[in-house]
Amino acid sequence: MRPRTPRVVDGPAVGGWAPWLFLAPLLVFAFVFFLLPLGFSVWLSFTRWNPLGAPSWVGLRQFEYLLTRDDTFWRTVVNTFVFAFGFVAIGVPLALLLAFAFSRARGKAIWRQIYYLPQLTNIVAIAYLWQFVLDDRDGLINRALGAIGLRGPDWLTDPTMAMVSVVLVMIWYDAGKNMLIFSAALDGVDRAIYDAATLDGAGAWRTLRSVTLPIIRPAFTFVTITSFITGMGFFSLILAMTGGGPRGATEVTALYTYRMAFEDLRMGRASAGALILFAIIGALSLLQFRALRERSR
Amino acid sequence: MLHQRMAALACGLALGTPVAAIAQDGPLTVAMHYTQEQAAPLLACLDAYEADGVTAEYQQISYRDYLQTVLTGRLGGQSPDIYNVYSIWAAQMVDNGVLDAPPVAVSKLVSETYSAGTVDAVTIDGTVWGVPTEVSAYMLVSNMALLREAGYDAPPATWEELREIARTVTARNEQGRIETAGFAFADSSSGAGFVHPFYALLYSEGARPYSDDFSEANLDGPEAEAALERMAELVGDGITDLSVDAYDFPAGGIGMMIMANWLESEIRAGFGDSFEEDVVVSPIPAGADWRTLQYAFFMGVDSNSDRKEAAWDLVRHLNAPREDGPSCMGEMLSGLGALTANTADNAAMGEPDAFTAPYLAALEEGRAVSQPNVMQAAEIEGMMAQTFERVLAGDAEAGPALESLDGEVEDILFEFY
Repeated sequence: MRPRTPRVVDGPAVGGWAPWLFLAPLLVFAFVFFLLPLGFSVWLSFTRWNPLGAPSWVGLRQFEYLLTRDDTFWRTVVNTFVFAFGFVAIGVPLALLLAFAFSRARGKAIWRQIYYLPQLTNIVAIAYLWQFVLDDRDGLINRALGAIGLRGPDWLTDPTMAMVSVVLVMIWYDAGKNMLIFSAALDGVDRAIYDAATLDGAGAWRTLRSVTLPIIRPAFTFVTITSFITGMGFFSLILAMTGGGPRGATEVTALYTYRMAFEDLRMGRASAGALILFAIIGALSLLQFRALRERSR
Repeated sequence: MLHQRMAALACGLALGTPVAAIAQDGPLTVAMHYTQEQAAPLLACLDAYEADGVTAEYQQISYRDYLQTVLTGRLGGQSPDIYNVYSIWAAQMVDNGVLDAPPVAVSKLVSETYSAGTVDAVTIDGTVWGVPTEVSAYMLVSNMALLREAGYDAPPATWEELREIARTVTARNEQGRIETAGFAFADSSSGAGFVHPFYALLYSEGARPYSDDFSEANLDGPEAEAALERMAELVGDGITDLSVDAYDFPAGGIGMMIMANWLESEIRAGFGDSFEEDVVVSPIPAGADWRTLQYAFFMGVDSNSDRKEAAWDLVRHLNAPREDGPSCMGEMLSGLGALTANTADNAAMGEPDAFTAPYLAALEEGRAVSQPNVMQAAEIEGMMAQTFERVLAGDAEAGPALESLDGEVEDILFEFY
């Protein structure tokens, strides 16, 4: 008797309509909450629309205005880069450092929880808390400096210091989250590799550079790219903490487009601004991803 | 019952039927930014209201979200019947057909019962669009305890006197930071803390920010430059800076500010028993022809309401004086310490307190000029505030900054006029 061989068929044909039925909730969700709003936003960017009335088609005029005539838009783009780069350049190494420090510390779970706490706090509450700490005249820091005869910086009223302040608060807010990702990556490194490196005479610095960092590179890539994307699109902290001031010094593009849409009622122009920001973030994230992947090879 | 209403709503949406039509038998909705507690006298009137089977209910929408809520409500076909609109939103709402033009009787009531400047605040292109409710005006508010300590028994009568008194009042700590400020501007997210005093000074110079038809801005003229320079020299004199906030006046560390009347309750709470003695309101010392700014909220009816006539009847009912005292709205505003420009209400409420009296006098004497009802007012005033802040901080000169601002504002005006 010839042994029976299992019939091989293409996967989707087996299920017929069943996989689509199970996927349907997800597909409907994605269509309604991602594709539809994105498509609507793209369409809006070619219109002039104040939501009290009907949209009117203006072609590329909103893009033309933002890219060629709106100096404020370009100033906000520069502010966005300063904020995002500051956040990534200081925030990512700091989170890595914290993860290293706590990976060998006693009670590391408690330390990790403490550093993660800001993530559980409402961002508006965080903004008000830091306003209280950083207020130029009555803030805790400047009062403390004043008590020892020092004049503290104008944290919130000097344009440069205001940007420094929002970047530092953003780092404080986000450090715990990135630290957890790095901690998980560090915990995943096989101890035997460290033992082997020690046997080969590698010191602490050499082990970090040649063993630990290459192994946790995927986590590093992930944290860097997601932090960059977060930094480029984040504005709620700035809205609550400085309102984009002083004199527009902390007004980032996401905040500018938010105001354009909901305060100035210029939905078309705001959509165009949001799409330009989306394109910038997409292109830079792609470049960043490729650069980090190249280096890991 | 709830399920039935939900089902009716869903069916109505599915069939494209306006929800207002479904709610035809429901109560009329009055949407305002006051909390239930603040609006208690008005709520009592709404609860008691019943006219030809029509009743009324209150909907609270926070001030910051008011316009957005109106927008999304209309998009979803769920707009209230009656709004309480900030006058600077009105031009856009009228331009887009959101508001219903009131019946002649309501327009007549407004023209006859309210002071002229307040009627202007609710008038767009010659048409009155609602009944004024809360009115705010700006005056000079002085902390007399600080002024007396500095050797002055009365608030300043001239701008030079204001500078002199403020200089004397100002005290700095060892690090050079202002501890007691002679004067302060308010740090408000809308920019009103700079823009509203600027309007008051500009009006006092005899100018207006726009041409009558709003096709041109008058921000590059000598009057605007003089007004802004007056503000900038206060910072230049070292008697205030941008870290000092007029909203801290109730704490007692600020000598003077140009402020609206609605801060009274907070100032009163801050000063406690010494309020009557230590807080004095006086005219903005900008010459014999001084003027100030007023802005108003007004009750208007949504053009989508299926019971516009009944809604206007309710608006009239809420704002008409009652036999035993002021109107429902007047009673509520009086309880809040807010102003009304309803002359019948003001007469019914008797003598105002010493803090409120100068504000009321400014309204009644025609000193208070309304905030311009221009399209994109919030956007324009945001731009003005940023420019003024740059000049006050010493980052720009008043003349060139105003010239540039004038061009930017005219770009916006060109879109609409």
